[in-house]
Amino acid sequence: MSNSHMFLPSGFIRTPLQNGLGRYIPQLQRITLKFCKNHGGSRGVRDFIESDLMEFAKTNPGTVVYLKPRRHRSPCMVAEYLNGEREYLSCHEFSRDEVHKWLSYMCTRSGIPVMRFRKYQHTDYPTVQGVWNPFTHQAPEINIAEFPHEVLSRPLDHGPTATEQLIEIFKKTQIEDPANKPPN
Amino acid sequence: MLITRVLFNRAPKADNFWKRRRVFKLTAHYRGRKRNCYSIAIKYLHRALVYVKKGRKLKKKDAIELWQQRISAGCRELGSSYEALVRGMARCQIALDKKTLANLAIWEPRTFKSLTQIAAAKLRQEPIKGLNDISPPPAGVITRGML
Repeated sequence: MSNSHMFLPSGFIRTPLQNGLGRYIPQLQRITLKFCKNHGGSRGVRDFIESDLMEFAKTNPGTVVYLKPRRHRSPCMVAEYLNGEREYLSCHEFSRDEVHKWLSYMCTRSGIPVMRFRKYQHTDYPTVQGVWNPFTHQAPEINIAEFPHEVLSRPLDHGPTATEQLIEIFKKTQIEDPANKPPN
Repeated sequence: MLITRVLFNRAPKADNFWKRRRVFKLTAHYRGRKRNCYSIAIKYLHRALVYVKKGRKLKKKDAIELWQQRISAGCRELGSSYEALVRGMARCQIALDKKTLANLAIWEPRTFKSLTQIAAAKLRQEPIKGLNDISPPPAGVITRGML
């Protein structure tokens, strides 16, 4: 099915600054959890904060965690990435497990927006020998040749011209002159 | 108990909203009434789905044709032909597919040239009847009886 109905931008797979080639750096800069201390919709977030948040913060030392308790506001999380992208997610009526799962999803993302990948491979160096160009398989002599050239200006599959064919026929019809024969 | 009356009950009518929503999600990028009116949208959606099914085979066919065209062009530039390359490679037990060959012809032209030369050298040793050899023997190919 064509993907136009999803209205997603499309692009090639990439990673910021070749992340993972040397050291892997988690791209999540900071995560802000906004919740209400009383309202029922924030129950999952509150349970998560009480139980799993410290472990999460310890396992992700590169990410700063901010908590914003705000009265009468539905819970949400905002993830900010090293390339400046922001990702908002409403956590209303989430369970504790759901919060944990969505948080770990945010951790593993880079800030590159969600898009349809055209190909699942990418290389910055697609060629070792050099991309084909019309002069790749040509002899370098053409650089200094002056045109029209006797050999290079001829078509490739020329064959003998009519004049040359006539000369060949003429030579065959000639009787050998005994005076031209070498002495035995 | 009278069960006949109970047997007359029909199943509740399905909610059309969800059925139509499934259609509208797929026609969201259409123009005008084809996007929002069910009885119009469904006609165009059915055509689109038929084209999708047909297109799966056509896409493969087109890709193979394109690769074949590119390999043939690359071969002809080097004085060989597509048939000579493929048949020569098969006899040398080099099993490279059309996609790889086309990519080599573009991105690794010298590898591609050496493949044409290997195939030509093999066909020179074991000529195929009916396959015209257009070019002179390839220079710089040392077989040492390995072909």
